[in-house]
Amino acid sequence: MANDSRDHAPGQYPGSVAPSAVRLVERLVALGITHAVGIPDNDTAEVFDRVRAHPMIRLLTVTREGEAFAIAAGLWIGGQQPVVVVQNTGLLESGDSLRGTAGRMGVPLLCLVGYRGYAKMVAPRAGTTSGALDAEMLTRPDVDSVALLTEPTLTAWGVPYWHHVSDNDTDTVIPSAFETASRQSQPTAVLLTRGFT
Amino acid sequence: MMLTKDELLAPLARLREDRIVVTTMSVVRPWARHSQSDLDFASADSAMGHAADLALGLALAQPERGVVCLNGDGSMLMCLGTLATIVESGATNLTVLIVDNGTYEITGNQPIAARGSIDFATLAGAVGFRRTYAIETADQYEKQLPEVLAGVGPVLASVRVESGIEGPISRSPSEPSPYLRISLSESARRLREILRSQSAERL
Repeated sequence: MANDSRDHAPGQYPGSVAPSAVRLVERLVALGITHAVGIPDNDTAEVFDRVRAHPMIRLLTVTREGEAFAIAAGLWIGGQQPVVVVQNTGLLESGDSLRGTAGRMGVPLLCLVGYRGYAKMVAPRAGTTSGALDAEMLTRPDVDSVALLTEPTLTAWGVPYWHHVSDNDTDTVIPSAFETASRQSQPTAVLLTRGFT
Repeated sequence: MMLTKDELLAPLARLREDRIVVTTMSVVRPWARHSQSDLDFASADSAMGHAADLALGLALAQPERGVVCLNGDGSMLMCLGTLATIVESGATNLTVLIVDNGTYEITGNQPIAARGSIDFATLAGAVGFRRTYAIETADQYEKQLPEVLAGVGPVLASVRVESGIEGPISRSPSEPSPYLRISLSESARRLREILRSQSAERL
């Protein structure tokens, strides 16, 4: 689902400079990533554009995010090293596919997940964290329920995850998540909490 | 008269050469009675409806080798968008054979949605598959299968097949089908190693 997910204007995210898509893609290439499979959202659109233009990594856009995990599993069995790039909404859509293909097949797969709703969720006015999952919270108009559900869902699915905020995370978190996926032969996720420039 | 499973699978086993064959649902066990190749992969104990996209990943990873996906009609309906993704990918070495029996066979032959009216060959052609076939009889299949497998893809052939009585699929050491005696992760690792070693030999 290519969603208009941005809950903050570019450059208005609290904190430092937005991370660089070029730097992320170069990091992926340095790790040996051969294919990026997924669907863009507003925050990852720049990453998709940079992957599309890069000579060393191939982009494949799918129709539903569940496809991305099955295709990535096939790519890995065939000797390639893919990465999946989806929004957290699409991650939820992908549950059985992630479980039954990449997970069940033991594929060391790095998943980059756009974290729709993160800024609203952590803003002081929201007054909540991912831990509060009652019906009132899940229907609040000022909080995006997909953000509330993202981390509990990954925990329930047994997928280790990290947060990505800055270029420094590109250099540290991305390799750590990839190394964990490789060492444990399983999918891992990096939650992209803000858009790229 | 529509095909039996044996009429579907025996000719394919004869003609598949070094193609990877991905099976799912009602043909997983029957295929193992016709083929016990290291290049067979059962999308069983996996994810519903995701055999064709798994096969697409294999095809993209192994562009010098053909990949055949024996997909169920119900399975194809679960992930119909994969037809568009296959075209978008540019894969030319993928053949999708739809086992068109009109039912979810392994759960007791409940009818699929749009049974009798869904036309997978027309759908695939409209999406942009290079070649499509709608096959109704064993004679037609025997004559057309070499053409289906030859040349540039992606190719989709929808084959009318009798419903059977295949039950739920499991993996265990006591399974009669050799490729179901190991776990899905072991199957994946083995096929990856075989493909890697064969690719190294080709260099």
